[in-house]
Amino acid sequence: MWPIFDYGRFVSIISSSDVYGVVWMRSLAQLHKMANLRVLVGVKRVIDYAVKIRVKPDNSGVVTDGVKHSMNPFCEIAMEEAVRLKEKKLAKEIIAVSCGPAQAQETIRTALAMGADRGIHVEVTGKEYENMTPLHVSKIMAKLAQDQEANLVILGKQSIDGDNNQTGQMTAALLDWPQATFASEVTKENDHLKVVREIDGGLETVKVTLPAVITADLRLNEPRYATLPNIMKAKKKKIAKHKAADFGVDLTPTLEVVGVEDPPVRQAGQKVESTEELVAKLKDSGVV
Amino acid sequence: MNYAFTYKMYFKANLLYQRLNLLFRRCHSERRDNPSFDPIKFIQGNTEISTNHMTPEIKLHLITPRCALWDSGADQCLVSDPFWAFYWPGGQVLTRYILDHGSVVKDKSVLDVGSGCGASAIAAAMRGARRVLANDIDPVAAAAMKMNAKLNSVNLETSTDNLIGEGLHQWDVVFLGDMFYDEEFASTVSDWLKTLKQSNSSCQILIGDPGRFSLEEHPVKSLLFRVAEYELDEVCRRENNGLTLGGVWAYDPTRTMK
Repeated sequence: MWPIFDYGRFVSIISSSDVYGVVWMRSLAQLHKMANLRVLVGVKRVIDYAVKIRVKPDNSGVVTDGVKHSMNPFCEIAMEEAVRLKEKKLAKEIIAVSCGPAQAQETIRTALAMGADRGIHVEVTGKEYENMTPLHVSKIMAKLAQDQEANLVILGKQSIDGDNNQTGQMTAALLDWPQATFASEVTKENDHLKVVREIDGGLETVKVTLPAVITADLRLNEPRYATLPNIMKAKKKKIAKHKAADFGVDLTPTLEVVGVEDPPVRQAGQKVESTEELVAKLKDSGVV
Repeated sequence: MNYAFTYKMYFKANLLYQRLNLLFRRCHSERRDNPSFDPIKFIQGNTEISTNHMTPEIKLHLITPRCALWDSGADQCLVSDPFWAFYWPGGQVLTRYILDHGSVVKDKSVLDVGSGCGASAIAAAMRGARRVLANDIDPVAAAAMKMNAKLNSVNLETSTDNLIGEGLHQWDVVFLGDMFYDEEFASTVSDWLKTLKQSNSSCQILIGDPGRFSLEEHPVKSLLFRVAEYELDEVCRRENNGLTLGGVWAYDPTRTMK
């Protein structure tokens, strides 16, 4: 419901050139629009951050079978921020989206337990999922943002498995929306969002108008744990299932992974008793 | 003071016992399909009596942050879906409304559908309803409703039949606390409400809902008008991430469909 628009009063405001009145009415309308934000959050299922990663013997990728998976930590932060916006009554609805195999539904359930209202699962399996790149994901996110009439897309800055740091930026580009990446603070100011960004050696504050794309950095918030009452109630929330083709997205790979290798094993060090010995050793090895 | 101390000691021992049980994956009883499963023992062993909610007049057996199951995953809980062990936000605001507006139920016959912990039904009984039937298809919930009624010294009839869809004529007031939690079920319920109202136009239908998406977007929403709205308290917000407000709505099909 929009504030009742009193046309007569509007005309009288214009004629008496009471600019503040017009500004006030406009900001009231925008304030109302802000309180009705529909937020789209991307949640990716990745190998749990605490698991030791093993490379496949044929160097084609990493071992994922039988390995503990959980929600990408940056996606958790993005989800938490969306819930906080809803708790501040700035957002009215949160939609959690995940692209991936059937197990991605578990990740969506976690998001629902954290406070999302409903989920969308874009099922991508097997070889297609292995070859999926941030470009594919951002095409799906962009299409969903339009279909669902979202005003705000919040994503993690990157996933801890691919480390690409591309999905948020490309989603914004495809939608032609402003973007605020590496967010460490999001506040509402009149008709826009003020976002503090983490940049090399400091912080940058930007203003973005809506609709917009935000990507979450590590210090944005501390995500909550899902407790039993929330987990149980999340079971009742709806997850819609789709295929990438439903959004007209072609999953043909645009790049090929040539090889994945373990980082080199660090060589053992040597202990020296004195500086003289250290200098002698360095001379021997030709460093000094 | 001595009594308080003894009570506290007992309480601590009880919580410790719960935690140990969880550790060894042994609640008071084994799984529900086990014939020896005793819902009363399960409820006594895994909940605490709480008044820390929006209707402190009513004592309820609930799983609170002090109970071991609170931090467990759903798979660790030995009864499936203990929905009765939590006081749902829609149920809380509806119960608050009944307690604040006792005349709605005084000398009336009341049906509480999806009663869960039975709070709304208990509130109706406390405010002088002639007859109260608390209905929930979960038999453990039925046990919990009876125990909660006893705690508050009121009498309830209980039923575990699925009454949704039944053509019932005898009710003056029907409660639906937080029943619009998914779209399909919302449609089933709204169809039933339509026939219920057709067969008995004087029947008053009250709905408690914290702004769930499945109700917000449902066509039945246009047939509801809000009779009260409450801010959810801190405890309730923590149990329902993202929710802040709860509304009580009356169903009135004479309003035109938008």
